[in-house]
Amino acid sequence: MHKILIKYTKVDRMKFISHLELIRVIERALRRADIPLRFSQGFNPHPKISFASPLSVGVSSEGEYMTVEVNEKIDLGRFKDRLNSELPEGIKFIKCKYIDSKSKSLMSLVEYGTYIVKCNTKREYKKNEIEKILTNFLNRNEILFKKRGKRNKVKIINIKKLIKNMSVLSVEKKDIIFRITLSTGSRGNLKPDIVIEKLAENTELAIDLQKIRVHRLETFFFENKKGLVPLEKIN
Amino acid sequence: MNEKIEEILYKVEKPSRYIGGEINSYKKEIMENTIRFGFAFPDIYEVGMSHLGMHIIYNLLNQIDDVYCERIFSPWIDLEEILRKENVPLFTLETQSPIDQMDFIGFTLQYELSYSNILNILDLGNIPLKSSDRNSSHPIIIAGGPCAYNPEPLAEIIDVFVLGESEEVLMEIMDVYRNVKTEDLSRQEFLEKISEIQGVYIPSFYEVEYNDDNTIKNFKPKQDRYPIKIKKRIIKELDDIFYPEKVIVPYTDVVHDRAMIEIFRGCTRGCRFCQAGMIYRPIRERKSEKALELADKLLKSTGYEEISISSLSTSDYSQLNELVRSLIDNYLSKKIGVSVPSLRLDSFSIKLIEEIQKVRKTGLTFAPEAGTQRLRDVINKGITEKDLTEATANAFELGWNSVKLYFMIGLPTETYKDLDGIADLGYKVVDIYYDTPKEKRGKGLNVTISTSSFVPKPFTPFQWEPQDTTETLVEKQNYLKDKLRHRNIIYNYHDSKTSFLEAVFARGDRKLSDVLIKAWEMGCKFDGWQEHFRYETWIKAFDECGIDPSFYANRKRKYDEILPWDHIDIGVTKKYLINENEKSKEGKLTQDCRSQCTGCGINSGFIGGVC
Ligand code: SF4
Repeated sequence: MHKILIKYTKVDRMKFISHLELIRVIERALRRADIPLRFSQGFNPHPKISFASPLSVGVSSEGEYMTVEVNEKIDLGRFKDRLNSELPEGIKFIKCKYIDSKSKSLMSLVEYGTYIVKCNTKREYKKNEIEKILTNFLNRNEILFKKRGKRNKVKIINIKKLIKNMSVLSVEKKDIIFRITLSTGSRGNLKPDIVIEKLAENTELAIDLQKIRVHRLETFFFENKKGLVPLEKIN
Repeated sequence: MNEKIEEILYKVEKPSRYIGGEINSYKKEIMENTIRFGFAFPDIYEVGMSHLGMHIIYNLLNQIDDVYCERIFSPWIDLEEILRKENVPLFTLETQSPIDQMDFIGFTLQYELSYSNILNILDLGNIPLKSSDRNSSHPIIIAGGPCAYNPEPLAEIIDVFVLGESEEVLMEIMDVYRNVKTEDLSRQEFLEKISEIQGVYIPSFYEVEYNDDNTIKNFKPKQDRYPIKIKKRIIKELDDIFYPEKVIVPYTDVVHDRAMIEIFRGCTRGCRFCQAGMIYRPIRERKSEKALELADKLLKSTGYEEISISSLSTSDYSQLNELVRSLIDNYLSKKIGVSVPSLRLDSFSIKLIEEIQKVRKTGLTFAPEAGTQRLRDVINKGITEKDLTEATANAFELGWNSVKLYFMIGLPTETYKDLDGIADLGYKVVDIYYDTPKEKRGKGLNVTISTSSFVPKPFTPFQWEPQDTTETLVEKQNYLKDKLRHRNIIYNYHDSKTSFLEAVFARGDRKLSDVLIKAWEMGCKFDGWQEHFRYETWIKAFDECGIDPSFYANRKRKYDEILPWDHIDIGVTKKYLINENEKSKEGKLTQDCRSQCTGCGINSGFIGGVC
């Protein structure tokens, strides 16, 4: 058994397909490409594919990861080209490599994601104005968020510690672009639009919450010595 | 992607229905001479994309260089709301063009309850609803599919109907339309010209007179040059006709999300309630080698994990065994499932299903349609109680524990004895299960009994018969509900009001166009969706138009009455249908005409020598 780690993009119209739909799209592309897939056991055998961290519908990304298990070692250059010709426009494999077949699942490794978030404000702000607001916001001890969990239970969590960093990338008239790194994955997961919502709620920054556009740049695991490491560095 | 539409898609549920660009969808350059055809399915994407006919036509048309076929579906309520609010016209999936930029919009009529959605689509595209209100700046509205065999309720809305199998006829229409593109023909001249093509019906070329009792007095062409009878089209040789080797693979989970191979058209069983069994005659098979070849190409081009064979009655396919076994052999190792719907359950098919089960689990279904042998003889459903009991016994021994039984209520001559028969069969199946040795049968029995309500359809032997009133149907359903209280039995039934509306439109005439428009104006759409069906509104619309719906649904018609669809010729003669109806009253069976011709008429005048 061999495991291939794939870094891919999910952009343009493909940002509108859900995670479940994405799984089907990938499975069928792999079948069309006639890849020697490994399957799960049981009545409804499925190819062994796993993903790092599902995106919400509407979020695009250039730093997505998945692994695919295959029965024979195949040439990865050809694998990548073949798949790219079988995938719908907007999903593209950018890096493929073999990793240790016993490596931990991506899902359990992911710790952080970096995002670009575009928002619209109701009036024009200057960059330093926004930066000041942001610094104040990030300096708070707690930023509370009511999370709706399973069975509609409401849990109040402090999302402050889930924000690794956040900065203003650019401001142009009423458009602001933030760059945010957040906890992403099973040990803590925060969606960028929630950070923006909280920012709007807790400061005087008037943001149009209907028009938050999110793009993921990269997904990371964490190593004590190195800090944030892109998933593509997994061995 | 169009920016405005992209912005809108952020706000809707399941945007993937609207984005297009799926694998195997067509991307073509639009040029001056490109004939733009919008194939419209008047329901949501998930329903429309499950429909095999759509895939055939889409690929057929797109094979022609200067034709670009794009898809149009009903937007779900949330998108419609935004489109209306923001004044954005409904768009095609391929190029996101406003639908009124098409040269043609072709609707497929699969069920009567989708008619209000046709109006909604036109309106969302800023296209006038009535044919007479449109001009050469509007697309030509064309329609086909099974409901087109009684085109009359849509006569004032649709410009051109295509009757029968449309593969060839559409090509012929495109050939003529090229002259409109080059401005050598006007819209009117175009319509005149295509009215000569067999299978084309242009309702505005005909006029109707009514009797005082609202029945039809006279139906005739406005000009002598228009055909008095419009003959359906059929494809002679299935193996020679176009069949797509690639089909669009949806992102989202559609109703039938698998590769489909059509193995034959038509059916020879002759069930007397069944419209498909009459309108699709004669039977024409695709050879199993051809079917296998297509299966392989389709699976390679789509990557589907399941292949299904499609026909009206799979067991009747002469090469079924070879075909299914080859499919299993070819694809088991690739974990591709094989599904074989519409099987008659005998010991042979049970074995077959068992083999299929090795790959994927499928349910077990029987369709006795009626509860007693008497009534099954009336409807010519050649299935006996023994067939059912043997097959279930067999299945339980092989470990099955879930069985579905389909029946129809409200059939002609039905009495409460026949309803008792339904319940009896249900309990017999339960007994058979408990008689099966414990170590063999699966754990926990589930018997699902479903009843639909009989809807008399045009071109069936029962086309003159009344439908039970909704009150009677509800009484019958309640009766069965009481009878079928048992921990192993679940009883489901269809909403009787929905069946009533279906019956009205199935056998309706031209006057219904106005009712349809009225009902739509009052907010009716998605009538096939229980949560959107507004029966009271419909009744109000009938009232306001001064039309009694039960005239169409609940009235017994005489053999000499001019029926609204009498000018359509499906090949099966009226004489044959009358004879079948008479035989039904005596409970006389008509054999499957595979063994011997029973004289339905399709072989004379249509494609002689096929049957
Ligand atoms: S012509 Fe005869 S064999 Fe052919 S479909 Fe009709 S009844 Fe059957």
